[in-house]
Amino acid sequence: MARLDQLPEPMRSHIADLPCPHFEQTPRASGPELAKRRVAIISTAGLHRREDRPFGGMEGDYRVIEGDTPAGDLVMTHISTNFDRTGFQQDWNLVFPIDRLRELAADGVIGSVANYHFSFMGATDPAKMAPHAENLARLLAGDNVDAALLVPV
Amino acid sequence: MGALANYLENEGIPTTQISLIYEHTEAIRPPRALWVPFELGRPLGVPGDAVFQRKVLIGALRLLEAESVPVLEVFPEEAPAKAGDAGGTDETWACPVRFSPGQADETGPEKRMQAFREEVAELRNWYDIGVQKRGRTALSHFTPEDAAALFCDYLSGKDILPPDETGPPAVALRLAAQDLKAFYYEAAISRPGAGIPDSEAFTRWYWNQTAAGQILRDVKKRCETDGDKEMRMAGRMFLVPMGI
Repeated sequence: MARLDQLPEPMRSHIADLPCPHFEQTPRASGPELAKRRVAIISTAGLHRREDRPFGGMEGDYRVIEGDTPAGDLVMTHISTNFDRTGFQQDWNLVFPIDRLRELAADGVIGSVANYHFSFMGATDPAKMAPHAENLARLLAGDNVDAALLVPV
Repeated sequence: MGALANYLENEGIPTTQISLIYEHTEAIRPPRALWVPFELGRPLGVPGDAVFQRKVLIGALRLLEAESVPVLEVFPEEAPAKAGDAGGTDETWACPVRFSPGQADETGPEKRMQAFREEVAELRNWYDIGVQKRGRTALSHFTPEDAAALFCDYLSGKDILPPDETGPPAVALRLAAQDLKAFYYEAAISRPGAGIPDSEAFTRWYWNQTAAGQILRDVKKRCETDGDKEMRMAGRMFLVPMGI
């Protein structure tokens, strides 16, 4: 249960005390209706292809996950020991819902699924992610993505 | 997560997100977020339940059509228990892997390491069967035997020589700990009649009833006095969960 007040100590205090960056304004980018959007997954679960570099520290970088990566090639090297991984072991869609997205595209709920998806490691200082996010935005635009689905862990 | 949404949105990419910690999302104010009342590590709610996952996903994607931002919606359903799940108490999930009596309680470092190696060997067949059945493993870089050897070498005071691709010893230690735990999980659920434990039942079993759990506590303790600060950090933070 991720209700903060129901987490056991010392987890509750650890999470409650994590600094949150302050943004004066909430930015807004626009796009077409959902049925025409091209969707990419941006995970912060520390996911990557097995042969790719593991996440070593908290540098704010990301890994590229091609849309046709087989389930067996996707691994998680997030630094934290404090969240459940057994759900991901049973079903990768629990964290990286690529099969669900494909079904939504086939049913016309969304327009299409991107060719490339991305994963960061979420325990990282957001300021370190910022320059990588700028690069990522260009890659997403290059794949004609107009909806980034951000999935935490 | 919310900060990343703001960065991408500033660069012109519309975003929507799932939120696991309401208070963080409320503070960061990303454009669009759906808070879900699920366990950390399970943002789509339930493994193997495509219908439920789809509901969560559509809930988050629909926010892309919200009239104004920021919008922080609450997903109205709890994650249902999956049919066939073995549940959250020791009484309802007992791992069918029976280790030799007292194996997890061996005292003395040598005996404890021996018990640990035997445990890994006992689980190996079930792990292999599970991988064959599921067509997948979550182990990333270490075989269980290599992970076990790394920990035993470290506890024996030997230099540890991690494979090149895992980077420095502190990273290798963490990855080996993650792979070892994944191995125990995949092996334990592959035994006939084992069922699928919920995360709490698995955690209790792994940390309290296996030699692996004890060995990792020993490694954590040794890391705390290591001369390398990255190893001390790994021991303090990245091998054993908080509260264990």
